[in-house]
Amino acid sequence: MLELVDVSHSYVARRQSFDHGVHRVLDGVSLQLRQGETLGIVGRNGAGKTTMLRLMAGIFSPSSGSVIRRPGATCALLSLGLGFQDGLSGRDNALLAAMLQGSSRRQASARLEEIREFSELGESFDEPVKTYSSGMRARLGFTAALLTQVDILLIDEVLSVGDAAFRDKAQAAMKSRITSNQTVVFVSHAEGQVRSLCSRAVWIEEGRLLAQGGVDEVLAAYRPPQPRPQQAPGPLAGERSR
Amino acid sequence: MTLRHYFSLVDTLARMALKADASRYFFGYIWWLLEPLLYVLVFYVVFELILQNRQENFLVFLMCGKLAFVWFSKSLNQASRSILGNRGLIGRVDVPKSLFPMASIQEGLYKQASVFLLLFAVLVSNGYGVTLTWLWLLPVLLVNYLLIVACCLAGAWLVCLKYDFHVLVSMGVIFLMFTSGVFWDPRALPDPAMTDAVLLYNPLAFILDAYRQVLMVGTAPDPLHLAAIGAFFALVAAALFWVLQRSSQYIALKVITA
Repeated sequence: MLELVDVSHSYVARRQSFDHGVHRVLDGVSLQLRQGETLGIVGRNGAGKTTMLRLMAGIFSPSSGSVIRRPGATCALLSLGLGFQDGLSGRDNALLAAMLQGSSRRQASARLEEIREFSELGESFDEPVKTYSSGMRARLGFTAALLTQVDILLIDEVLSVGDAAFRDKAQAAMKSRITSNQTVVFVSHAEGQVRSLCSRAVWIEEGRLLAQGGVDEVLAAYRPPQPRPQQAPGPLAGERSR
Repeated sequence: MTLRHYFSLVDTLARMALKADASRYFFGYIWWLLEPLLYVLVFYVVFELILQNRQENFLVFLMCGKLAFVWFSKSLNQASRSILGNRGLIGRVDVPKSLFPMASIQEGLYKQASVFLLLFAVLVSNGYGVTLTWLWLLPVLLVNYLLIVACCLAGAWLVCLKYDFHVLVSMGVIFLMFTSGVFWDPRALPDPAMTDAVLLYNPLAFILDAYRQVLMVGTAPDPLHLAAIGAFFALVAAALFWVLQRSSQYIALKVITA
């Protein structure tokens, strides 16, 4: 379905005027994504996970190596953060999101009621997004992407937000998509979610692929068994407990 | 993305931007007319009341030039920042980057339609009759639109490459405002050679003059010159669409890591 072949990615990061420092994000990453599987990506913050999803989605092109996608395969990247127009209502933003993912205006309009219902936004659906809490934004973003029909769904952390009830509902909906042969790439720090949703996993650290294979095997390598807490734990032990 | 879907997205983005923009202001959509009229008022006070301009029917003369210039300047300033301003969307979905400046241009076009209607009403109420010559407005408007599209795509692309271009775009707009005959008449210059040079080498000055020739004097603009300007900017716009399409992923990287 999608393959990364020896992909490296870097960009110029300017810290001050006339500076041209190069920031390397990915270094020689190769992996395959098969039809219908759910691939989990684990790694610390800044490891290169989001960049890998953006390369898969075709938002970036690699500095070297290649990203081979099955011809005609469509991708949607579901992530938190910006992407909504604050002055517009949830309804308008959902319409725009669906159209940007490839739906026609008519198809997008037809899905709006479904999005309103699933996101549980009620009357707030017609109010400006600037009045939303971060949880409401996450619910809207997740639902708009979940109900978009694409071949590859790339999910960046979004199942870890919102209240517990919505999180369970989102996870159940995701499971339902996964069992219906949806191809998914799933980035998460929540190891429980990776274990319950993914059929395979990769561990990425400082832009390099350190492990790939079965979920248990990769998670064991990613997070080795913690030593018993000492009487006065040092700062390193504190950092390792995520 | 099909062409139909592309234009449907441009239209939807433009309409939603207008809606979001209007919701920010107490006077909402009234600002579409109020803002350009205030620009005209400022220039009128300075040049007619303070500097005692001798131009006949200066208010109408000023409106013909200033209202068309505001269409150009507002579109360019807004479109130049449009790709950077949508970095949130660009980080989530791979779409043609020309969508964003084109949506800004479309937004300006919708606003300008009402501004031109107001201008025509002012012309008629000042005794300028509607004649067949007004049909020349169609090619003049088309060429004006092509000039705006080419300049906006260039501005948006350059500002993505280096944010420093944003300053140059603003300076360029000010330079054009002073050199394009917005508040002075190129045909009234003491040196006829200078009049010819301004109208020949500054396409914006030629277009503003063409509006006045059609609406106030009742004569057609030089059709060959108009066609040449239109063809040039159509080619530039087509080349910039191609550049933006070819460098779509590079632009995304520049915008997200800026």
